[in-house]
Amino acid sequence: MPTLETEILVIGGGATGAGVAWDAALRGFQVILVEKRDLTHGTTGRYHGLVHSGGRYVVKDPKSAAECIHENRILRRTHAHCIEDTGGFFVVTPEEAESDYPDRFQAACDEIGIPCTEIPVAEALRREPLLNPRISRVFEVPDASADSFLATHATVQAARMAGARILIYHQVEALLVDESNGQRRVQGAQVRDMVSGELVTIRADMTINAAGAWAGQIAALAGAEVRIIPGKGTMVAMNHRLVNTVINRCKMPSDGDIIVPIHTIVAIGTTDEKVADPENLRIEPWEVQLMLEEGEKLVPGISRARVLRAWAGVRPLYQENFTGQDSRDVTRSLALLDHPSRDGIQGFLTITGGKWTTFRMMAEKAVDRACQHLGVERPCRTADTPVPGAEQGHYWLGHRLHEIEEARLQGELVCECELVTRAMLEDAARNNPTVTLDDLRRDVRLGMGPCQGGFCTYRAVGILHELAAENRTAPVTPESPQEEIANSPWEVAYLQSPGRHVRTGSPQEVLESKVLGPASPVTDPRTPVSNPNLLLRDFLQERWKGVVPVLWGRQLKQERLDELIYLGVMNADHLPDEELASPLTDFYLFDTTPGETSPGTTPSGQEKEASA
Amino acid sequence: MTQLIVIGAGLTGLMAAHTAAQAGLQVRIIAKGMGANHWHAGTVDVLGYHPRDSRQPVRRPLESRDVLVAEQPGHPYARVSPEEMQAGLEAFTRLAQEAGLPHRGSDEPGRNLLLPSPVGAARPAFLAPEAQLAGELGRDEPMLIVGFQGLRDFYPQLVAENLGKQGVTARAAFLPLSLVTRERDRNHVQLAKLLDEPERVAGLGRALRGLVKPGERVGLPAILGFQRHREVLASLVEQVGAPIFEIPTLPPSVPGIRLHTALARRLEALGVRIETGMEVLGFHGEDGRVLWVETETAARPLKHRAERFLLATGGVLGGGFQSDHTGRIWEGIFHLPLTLPQERSRWFRPRFLDPAGQPVFQGGVPVNGNFQPVDPASGQPVFANLWAAGNTLAHADPIHERSLEGVAIVTGVAAVKAMVGDRAPANS
Repeated sequence: MPTLETEILVIGGGATGAGVAWDAALRGFQVILVEKRDLTHGTTGRYHGLVHSGGRYVVKDPKSAAECIHENRILRRTHAHCIEDTGGFFVVTPEEAESDYPDRFQAACDEIGIPCTEIPVAEALRREPLLNPRISRVFEVPDASADSFLATHATVQAARMAGARILIYHQVEALLVDESNGQRRVQGAQVRDMVSGELVTIRADMTINAAGAWAGQIAALAGAEVRIIPGKGTMVAMNHRLVNTVINRCKMPSDGDIIVPIHTIVAIGTTDEKVADPENLRIEPWEVQLMLEEGEKLVPGISRARVLRAWAGVRPLYQENFTGQDSRDVTRSLALLDHPSRDGIQGFLTITGGKWTTFRMMAEKAVDRACQHLGVERPCRTADTPVPGAEQGHYWLGHRLHEIEEARLQGELVCECELVTRAMLEDAARNNPTVTLDDLRRDVRLGMGPCQGGFCTYRAVGILHELAAENRTAPVTPESPQEEIANSPWEVAYLQSPGRHVRTGSPQEVLESKVLGPASPVTDPRTPVSNPNLLLRDFLQERWKGVVPVLWGRQLKQERLDELIYLGVMNADHLPDEELASPLTDFYLFDTTPGETSPGTTPSGQEKEASA
Repeated sequence: MTQLIVIGAGLTGLMAAHTAAQAGLQVRIIAKGMGANHWHAGTVDVLGYHPRDSRQPVRRPLESRDVLVAEQPGHPYARVSPEEMQAGLEAFTRLAQEAGLPHRGSDEPGRNLLLPSPVGAARPAFLAPEAQLAGELGRDEPMLIVGFQGLRDFYPQLVAENLGKQGVTARAAFLPLSLVTRERDRNHVQLAKLLDEPERVAGLGRALRGLVKPGERVGLPAILGFQRHREVLASLVEQVGAPIFEIPTLPPSVPGIRLHTALARRLEALGVRIETGMEVLGFHGEDGRVLWVETETAARPLKHRAERFLLATGGVLGGGFQSDHTGRIWEGIFHLPLTLPQERSRWFRPRFLDPAGQPVFQGGVPVNGNFQPVDPASGQPVFANLWAAGNTLAHADPIHERSLEGVAIVTGVAAVKAMVGDRAPANS
């Protein structure tokens, strides 16, 4: 069994874990981060993409709001290229016309220092013509929209450049707990390589649990009770960019009161349901219905637009001694659990709660505490250290199209919906560890547009297979999987820029000269995940999981076309290697068809079921 | 007055209109678009898998049809006798021949062909255009699968590897796309049209001759010409000195568009008017008869009167059925009763590739033995002068069964024969 040694072991490859690894590595610690699947597989990759100004929580949870505006300002510098500067509106709809909330909102923003300007309704409607014309007041705040996939990848690249080792598809099976001196101490973890199946021991002086919604399960491995309050949030993506500004309703946070433009779509969010299991999230018909109905109040007609997809993430909320029923009432502030003082367990910290917006601050607090326990004094440097790629500045909606037109890459498009070129896909597969097509979706937005993978799934499988065929002729590297992942180039700062991935010369010249780069895990013929038929099946199923809750109208017709393509033309359900499975094959299945209850079922009935 | 209006220009509508014209009816086709042929492989799939979860393709579709209708008495194939099925398929074969795009089946009559798909799976098909026949997997010659560098919709190594896993000897090779065009943003339909030019074919032939080994047959993406397709194919076979076959690709599908175009031209030559870009949005009925249907055009709504109407708008895919978020799914023109669940929670199964298919795609318009839509409660026709055929019909999932063209052809022909009284009433 391979054994690795490090000073700090970080568990969890979401925004928080990536932030901790980056922060600790910048302070000069040896760091290993383990993530059971791909980076951002958990909540980070399943949230609505809002960079909070703090406005949303300013009345209800001012502590969280203050954290948000502080971090908002920093992230705009350190992760500039992962953010679109959309700005945000808080609008007063007829339903809230009589409420005193807008005045309290404005006063609270002033109090905390969130820039908040009331603008004329006419001005707001000029900028956002589809907004409900019956709104009575509009406040402008510095909300923004983030690409949380890219941001986490960039953070991780920064961490690696500072020396951190990142092991994705490595799941913690046990913590190494030593009880020899009458004192309990966590000394690392035993992890399983989900691709090769191999067990790896990682010894560490300090283990930081940043497993988000799964943090309770990790803490339990050390014998500590951490009661995460998992608040499921469901989001619905519409196929048009119906607004260019983040639109919030100026009222206490509730279901379906926010619309966030993300790249080519808008997402309506979100519900907040206490759930038992962060892994298998059912999306109920009433949730989708509610999002659309509430969305109507902000953008009339939104529910008649084509719905692309619905998905859910779980907020890892935490409040010591919380006894309430409604997860909306749990603070959004960050929580650092100091297990040495809290539970008498040395060498172990849990960082949870918070928002995506505050991930850097969460990391800073966690590593500050780790320094105390390790008896060293090293200041945090993340607030002043831009991650690779930040020099590009904020992205904007048209950047891909612009770059493609500038470089005349139209003929290279693999995904026409999201403007992904072949070179972007190849470089993403080659330059960071890739196990499934879903990993590439997060890297370059493959399959995220209206056809939901109908055309690009086949193309991506064909392209990855060609890459693999090249590598089969190359000598198999003697390195362990961990070394292989650790040594892969992991250049991700420009993942999403078509203009940065231009193959020189004509396509045929490039292919004829066989310049196809080094091996990456996806192209490693020793792993079952290099099998094209498995990649195809897995990705089709992954897409299916997200479209089923919202299939009707034109999107239902689109899905039948996808059936015609994959069954009728390709016969993809009768391919060889049917028995193979990847680490994610099971995850893409859902046991129960979503929505066994009728759309008319009341939310209250559902709550009981969900929290049971 | 028009004797028959066929609504829908897919394979069902074309075969129905042809049958009507043969029977001497004055017939028009009005349609929103051009039907699902444009998306499919250009083959005639009659029955590919039965039972649906079978891993083995159906060998003899007309024999398996008997098993199918015994198990599923509501299936569209149960509305036709085996002889009528045979006759319908023969009518198609004759029409395709007359249209200049001959289709043939296996050398062993009654057997399904097995043809390579663009991922290298084995597609069961009953009839195929000439250009796909040399790809029959049962033949002995090893395959050379040739792709074009820079073409995003065809991956020869993937095809060859999967064929290899199924016991077919196949290797892959690439040619530069510049043999066909120097422009980079070209889809298969555009490439096929470029290959109508003989000098481009000559260049391709020379390059292929350099790749092929003696005894091999050559598979290419389906781009071998459009208007002059048969000449292109013949010329390449002669130049290369090896059997050559096309492998169908992602939509837009060149073999599918060739088929549609050839059949539509032939029908027009026979005097059938085909009007597309006319979506039927409503109808007017009196005393249990449809008097007219209404289409919307750029200028104003148009009324189309006829003695009889045949609904061939397809199901969800063809646009015949519409649905909304409340779980309502309905037939868009006549609001005919459907056998589909009116509840979204019952539309889907957890797996995309579930062998049982998705329930929302498995229902449709229930008809009587004469293909007249009926009220399920009374069993009586909804309108005395309305018939339905093809993918609109209930109790089938033609994509999962691989019966898409079979159901279209056989029911399209039989519905018109029933309409004009040229058939013995179906018994089952």
